[in-house]
Amino acid sequence: MSTILELKNVNKRFGKVVALDNFNLELRAGEVLGLVGQNGSGKSTLMKMLAGLQGPDSGEILLRGQPVRIRSAAMATSLGIGMVHQEQSLVPNLTVAENIFIDKPNDATRGGLYRWGALFEAARTQLDKIGVDIRPDALVEELSFAERQQVELAKVLAIEELVDHPPIILFDEPTSVLNPDEIKILFREIQRLRTRASIVFISHRLDEILEISDRVLVMTNGVKVADKQVDAIDRDELYTLMVGHEREKKEREHTQPVQSSRPNPRLRIRKLTDGNKFKNLDLDVAKGEIVGLVGVQGSGAEELCRTIFGAEDSVTGEILLDDVPALSQGPRQAVSNGIAYLPSNRRLEGMLAGRTLVQNMVVTYGLEYGRSRFLVDYKAEEAAATQWMSRLKVKATSGKDRINRLSGGNQQKVVLGKWLMSKKLKLLLLDHPSRGLDPGARDDLFEAIKEQARQGLSIVFVADTSEEALELADRVIVLRDGQITASYDLQQGVIPSQEDILRAMI
Amino acid sequence: MNATKSLGSNFGVYANQARGLIPLLVLILLVAGSSLFAPGMLSMGGLSSFFTDAAPLLILVVGSTLPILAGSIDLSVAGVAALAGVLIVQLHPIFGVWATPVVLCGAALFGALQGYVHAKLQLPSFITTLATLSIVTGLALLLSNATALPIPDDDSIVGWISGSLGPVPNSIIVVIAVTVILAVALRYTRFGRDLYALGAGERTALMSGVNTIKVRCVVFALSAFCAGIGGVLLSSITGFSSPSIAGNLLLLSIVGVVLGGTAISGGVGGLGSALVGGIITSWLRVITVMVGVAPTTQNIVFGVMALIAVMLTTDRAKIGIVK
Repeated sequence: MSTILELKNVNKRFGKVVALDNFNLELRAGEVLGLVGQNGSGKSTLMKMLAGLQGPDSGEILLRGQPVRIRSAAMATSLGIGMVHQEQSLVPNLTVAENIFIDKPNDATRGGLYRWGALFEAARTQLDKIGVDIRPDALVEELSFAERQQVELAKVLAIEELVDHPPIILFDEPTSVLNPDEIKILFREIQRLRTRASIVFISHRLDEILEISDRVLVMTNGVKVADKQVDAIDRDELYTLMVGHEREKKEREHTQPVQSSRPNPRLRIRKLTDGNKFKNLDLDVAKGEIVGLVGVQGSGAEELCRTIFGAEDSVTGEILLDDVPALSQGPRQAVSNGIAYLPSNRRLEGMLAGRTLVQNMVVTYGLEYGRSRFLVDYKAEEAAATQWMSRLKVKATSGKDRINRLSGGNQQKVVLGKWLMSKKLKLLLLDHPSRGLDPGARDDLFEAIKEQARQGLSIVFVADTSEEALELADRVIVLRDGQITASYDLQQGVIPSQEDILRAMI
Repeated sequence: MNATKSLGSNFGVYANQARGLIPLLVLILLVAGSSLFAPGMLSMGGLSSFFTDAAPLLILVVGSTLPILAGSIDLSVAGVAALAGVLIVQLHPIFGVWATPVVLCGAALFGALQGYVHAKLQLPSFITTLATLSIVTGLALLLSNATALPIPDDDSIVGWISGSLGPVPNSIIVVIAVTVILAVALRYTRFGRDLYALGAGERTALMSGVNTIKVRCVVFALSAFCAGIGGVLLSSITGFSSPSIAGNLLLLSIVGVVLGGTAISGGVGGLGSALVGGIITSWLRVITVMVGVAPTTQNIVFGVMALIAVMLTTDRAKIGIVK
């Protein structure tokens, strides 16, 4: 196989942080290269460099043997390099056709004038290529999540038309927001693509990497630590290479829920209804219990968490927390009821970008450490925040670091710490807590969550995958179309198979 | 792009710290430079009259800083100042010496209402306060028939403000007292914390349990209250209400905020910055007159200054999204 893309001694630094350290990479024609590494190992920097969003400090990028400088995303596109982003990059209020050709010159948009008929036709051709039946004149915001992903794929694949050689396609954690069926479809597309493109595939899910890749490359601190054919490596080996130590094989040890003196469970939900998202839902959670919710996008699992936290409108039903009514009209009321919520969209809803770690930690409960209900005590709250950061093993030089500078896993720990600072917390809701975290950071986070449950905190979380639910939860609840379709009490020894869960999901 | 990126990240940490000190440096250079050709300005008498003159603008800048820290903007302050000046004359026959406190409370109420409308109905503050600016400016002109009315001699509050304690004008004492109280509130109370959280990320603040509507109400109440004080200070200097002052002060108050280094995008800055920015603006106003810039040309100078200040204080990390 011939080499399509080559990186030679590429360096990139951000301040004192080395993102890429004399990095070398070869991508061959028609191969799928799996790329794994912990958060902050330099994967994203590498991707951004290839997509034209960042330039190297030094080193060479060779495309088909020719040195190139990729100066912009548009230039990357014209060179035949396309990227499927982790979070979708489509413009929701434009049509599918406009989105597909938004970054490419096309006959139908020559001279800046739209010839709509021709544009829709060109888009139709691209959509047909991956065999999907989506109307080119539909607005993206009207499409389902999975359909958008397909449009995203069609958009990237349309790059083929621009260059007379096979394109390079970068997938940056494409599966983290997909359900199992959608992942299957994506993998089928990738299999079809490998005959006419070279692919770089990033995922934190090692099984996926092993399934789809031909060759896997492990990165740590900007350095390549392994480059192996997939059949020469197994999952445990991959984990060890990536995290730097072996995975501790823990038997499922489930904490006995703390025996409550009350006869009723800590959280009691009755006939909870929220528009069409879910109807007449009943759920009990004991003190110290971890409940894992599983369901596809739109199953109601995420909405349930948001509703309990008071972040959704038009809710009816009954929620009791320690026998006290706790149907919250807004997040503020939920907080005063002792409910915490870790949002799935960390950037938008979880962190105060540009503020320091301590400032992020104390925003909600700092005043619990105050001189009075209204007066801040900087010393006391900073001590508490610092203590929590070390308990959660946040990696940072000091509490005065800005949160933006941390890797995703550490940011997530800070956002979690914000809630754990409270002495009065009763219920912790986690919406996709491990999304975007590497396996090492994920294990750290899960350990912290389990520890909280042992202390008596009740926890409800929306799992990224069914494996994750089985690993962390005491009880797994499957939702579909706003209804509970299955419930497995793992503590009673009822351990469902992946297939059982999948069947209940769809 | 490569060069600027790596430069920006290498010096990012230091640049962030240094950026906060730029306005103070500018002020020192400005004062030092102007003392070369106008040494009289640095005399006790010169400074005393400078601060008397600057006091109304300073308190307006302090007031306008609060909504900007919270990620909003209050364009109505200049109008509130004008209306406050008119009302202390108009209400004097009814409330006597209490006219000033009544007007200030009224201003705070008006501000709270404005904040409520902006936050609860989710109307952008820019357009909400632009509309109320027009309303209160119009009210000031209507109630006064667009004429400057003399402040009654027996209004002892306004009388006291126009006096001075030794060389220190009482008006600047008022400004400093209000600023210190607000600064303490920002640093040591829940309100201050919530305010900064709101400016740094409104959705996160909301999802962290911050009462965003209440914070916005208080923020706008405080900015209108400060604007009211600005109106009173203005009247005490001239001895007259000045219903048409708004147009002049609107730009200057915003220029003052940005010149001090408070980011217009919210979350970054403070009242110390506000004072520095206000003093720079006032100083520039005096200097431009002294070097012979026609009053008609002054606005051009301030407009350019505002652009430069925004360029220096904008956080480029949020680049790509400009509204």
